[in-house]
Amino acid sequence: MTVVPQGESGISRGSTSSLYDVLDLILDRGLVIDVFVRVSLVGIEILKIDARIVVASVDTYLRFAEACNRLDLETGSKQPTQLTDLVGEITEGGAEGKSKGALTGAVEAVKDTLTGDGGEEGGDADEDEEEDYEEQDNEGGEGEQEEPEYEEEPRQRRRQARRTSRRQRE
Amino acid sequence: MAVYVYSITSKDHPMRLDDVHGVGEPSSPLRTVTNGSLCAVVSDAPEDLRARRRDVLAHQEVQERLMVEGAVLPLQFGMTAESDEAVRAALEDRADEFRERLRSLEGAKEYNLKVSWEEGALLRRILLESEEARELNAATRGGNGTPQMSLALGELVAREAEVRQQALATGIVEALRPYARDETPSPPGGRDFLNISFLVAADEEEMFQATGTRLANQLGEECEVRLRGPLPPYSFV
Repeated sequence: MTVVPQGESGISRGSTSSLYDVLDLILDRGLVIDVFVRVSLVGIEILKIDARIVVASVDTYLRFAEACNRLDLETGSKQPTQLTDLVGEITEGGAEGKSKGALTGAVEAVKDTLTGDGGEEGGDADEDEEEDYEEQDNEGGEGEQEEPEYEEEPRQRRRQARRTSRRQRE
Repeated sequence: MAVYVYSITSKDHPMRLDDVHGVGEPSSPLRTVTNGSLCAVVSDAPEDLRARRRDVLAHQEVQERLMVEGAVLPLQFGMTAESDEAVRAALEDRADEFRERLRSLEGAKEYNLKVSWEEGALLRRILLESEEARELNAATRGGNGTPQMSLALGELVAREAEVRQQALATGIVEALRPYARDETPSPPGGRDFLNISFLVAADEEEMFQATGTRLANQLGEECEVRLRGPLPPYSFV
């Protein structure tokens, strides 16, 4: 079963992305037998670095502030409220929040780049056949972007959100 | 010749692997190494094994095929033994442990859940709900206000975001927990704020899936809910 709802970013992406979503399990979990050798897979070590990039920093705060400044609250005000209800509903009795959460957007990960977050959704699975889950010192580099990079992703990705209205809502 | 090891199962497993291929290019045929009541699914290891998509997929497909017909202990991708003999010895060494794990995993599947909150939606929600954030936002828009004010806004929003994400993560996990036998959280990557695997027994699968679907539908406006499974129990071996 695979549930990807029709949210703003919930585009159904086919089986390749399913693999991306379980990549951390395949590479990082699973049985390890210590007398066996784990083939040296550079990419795997890099994958593990994943999201643990500093979250609480001046940089992050300024980016958040900027993102807020850009939001068009007029449009936003007609957002449904059901989520709040749900949060209230399903968290009652245990909302202390023990789970670990990373700040969305503040942390940029490897896997985002892996999933080609920008525009690979189309399902070009085949042409990616040879893609390594490794470093990007990659042969074929057709310049632009979709080479898998295990680096912090450019922060700009979410910035082009809305530049429209600067009206203040008061 | 080095041997790539995929999984450990019981010797009694039907092991229908005819049309599944191993890692490498060209892929090497799958075979089994047996010791006592245990069996390892292996193939010759390719010389230049790397974490290519093709190979990761091959590794995964072996597990998925096996798990349909019986309990399986999936190995981590990339494990190789020196020889069949070394595999046999490993099966021998930890025989009791492997048997016990196979028994306890019988019929159970892993489901992995990753959830992200669309940033615009989350920030908008915070601004609508927090007067302080709204005021700071109004004061700093259009390049107005001091850098300190922007910093204060960002810090406030970051804190509020974390609180909301944690609360939602807790809520989601608590909604699914009744139908799971075990759970293993992982550090979320990328824009995800939740990454957790559940071990779900066969007779709870339907309810678990239904609950997952309900959550996905309820949260779908603002969150991306990726529930993957049934999967081999990578997180519970």
